[in-house]
Amino acid sequence: MSVPWEAGRAWAIAKKDMRIYYLKPPTIMFGIFFPAFLFLSFAVGRNIPLTELIPGLMAITVFFTSSSIGPVVIPWERRTGSFERLLSAPVSLISVLAGKTLAGFFFGVFIAFLIIIFGTVFFGLHIVSGPVLFIGVALSAMTFSCLGILFSSIPTENVGNVMMTLNFFRLPLIFISGIFMPLESLPPVGQSLSMLSPLTYTHDIFLYSLGKVNQYPLPVDIGILIFFLLFFLSAAVLLHMKNMEKA
Amino acid sequence: MDAINVINLTKYFGQLCAVNEISFSVRKGEIFGFLGPNGAGKTTTVRILSGLTSPTSGSAKILGYDVKHHAIEARKRIGIVPEVSNLYEEYSAIDNLLFTGELYGISRKRRIEMAGELLHIFGLYEKRNEKVVKFSKGMKRQIVLSMALMHEPDVLFLDEPTSGLDVHSSRKIKGIITGLREKGITIFLTTHLMEEANQLCDRIAIIDHGKITAIDTPEGLKGTIESVQSVEVTFSEAITIQALKDIPGVAKITGERTSFRLYTATPKVVIKGVVTFADSKGLEIMSINTLGPTLEDVFVEITEGGHR
Repeated sequence: MSVPWEAGRAWAIAKKDMRIYYLKPPTIMFGIFFPAFLFLSFAVGRNIPLTELIPGLMAITVFFTSSSIGPVVIPWERRTGSFERLLSAPVSLISVLAGKTLAGFFFGVFIAFLIIIFGTVFFGLHIVSGPVLFIGVALSAMTFSCLGILFSSIPTENVGNVMMTLNFFRLPLIFISGIFMPLESLPPVGQSLSMLSPLTYTHDIFLYSLGKVNQYPLPVDIGILIFFLLFFLSAAVLLHMKNMEKA
Repeated sequence: MDAINVINLTKYFGQLCAVNEISFSVRKGEIFGFLGPNGAGKTTTVRILSGLTSPTSGSAKILGYDVKHHAIEARKRIGIVPEVSNLYEEYSAIDNLLFTGELYGISRKRRIEMAGELLHIFGLYEKRNEKVVKFSKGMKRQIVLSMALMHEPDVLFLDEPTSGLDVHSSRKIKGIITGLREKGITIFLTTHLMEEANQLCDRIAIIDHGKITAIDTPEGLKGTIESVQSVEVTFSEAITIQALKDIPGVAKITGERTSFRLYTATPKVVIKGVVTFADSKGLEIMSINTLGPTLEDVFVEITEGGHR
């Protein structure tokens, strides 16, 4: 089947997911409230200017929002049987998952740009490199959306089961990615572990594009995020394929 | 060319053989019933035919397209109505249809036309902008059927299309199914309702323990078990089932009080016996009928061991 055909079907799935699931309670809870409260619990009471906190806030938000759509949508649709409707349509599994990934991507990008706009208008946030910031948001949103799709391969119809497992993975990453504590302040083990976290590179790109001190050269951040994107996507496709065989 | 052609289809889940080298074909434009007890392999077969899972071995073709190797082409030609009404409850009726149209690559203009046509056919046009979450079970079923017809499929898979519906909704859907056959659409019907299969199907396959145990027309299947004829009798007064046991030629008796069904291979002998019995007991026979085997009798006979 041709690429335009597959792309058209993936886009149809993404539009449907955006219309139906963006305002579902689990999406709002795990995609917006959860990272917001997590961040507030860190920021409130500390004497740090908000503009200094915005790179971290953006990184957490893109991380949680983008990775929450797949784990909400896919188990939900498994329960209603509508995921099978997509799988039995004339479209490849990759395009079905691409549609779901796009829905997570746009959710993450939308929320990140809301923060940028608020930060710029109300708190004088200074963007040093708009294109790099855009690339950072887009690449991170896509990577984390694929992460969500990967976790949604857990064969369950219960959104909570996937979210719980995903949070076991997501929460520790926040503490080793330089968001709440600069990377150079982490113990040597923490610094080594931080290199394994895709969130480290997202945060690093945001620091760079917003004129803060960052850790890695930009090409390294982008290259490693692309590696994680491809890894999450390939693993997601393989595991979802395996699920189809078992069903 | 057959609409569906299945050759030596086999599916294993680990060590479990769910479908065991089944072969059958479905002719274009026929309603083909696929019956079997729970766990017999019906769902697995339909899932393979609709591209949701791959066979372990063997082949299945939809209008010549192999469901494994040309899955997209095969899926373009089929519509599926699963047992569960898997629509998007947050969407309106028309949005469900329009999304399905887009998923199957139908142009915007055509999908708007088709959605309107189908909603008119099912009498749901006035409710087109209402969210389907508010719809009754029967209305949801009709929307799912409409969604399956949006891309004008050549082959339609129906899984328990009328299960749990009221008489009116059930009749309406059966009428539409019959109409679809007249338009030349091939229908692959899975149902537990024997009377529905009997009324609708041109041919029926019975699958049990992963193997096809019989394929024939409903009448042909009934003809295979002539031994399951019966005499249905109603007496003027209540009697016990024990009292009828001495009537010659009776294999099994069901019923209670005044109405009984006596299974036999020799109905004439039983009728004579019933009349003699009634005379001897001073009972009046209110009605007496001979009945051939029903499709349900055939199904029970085949799946409970008679033909295995």
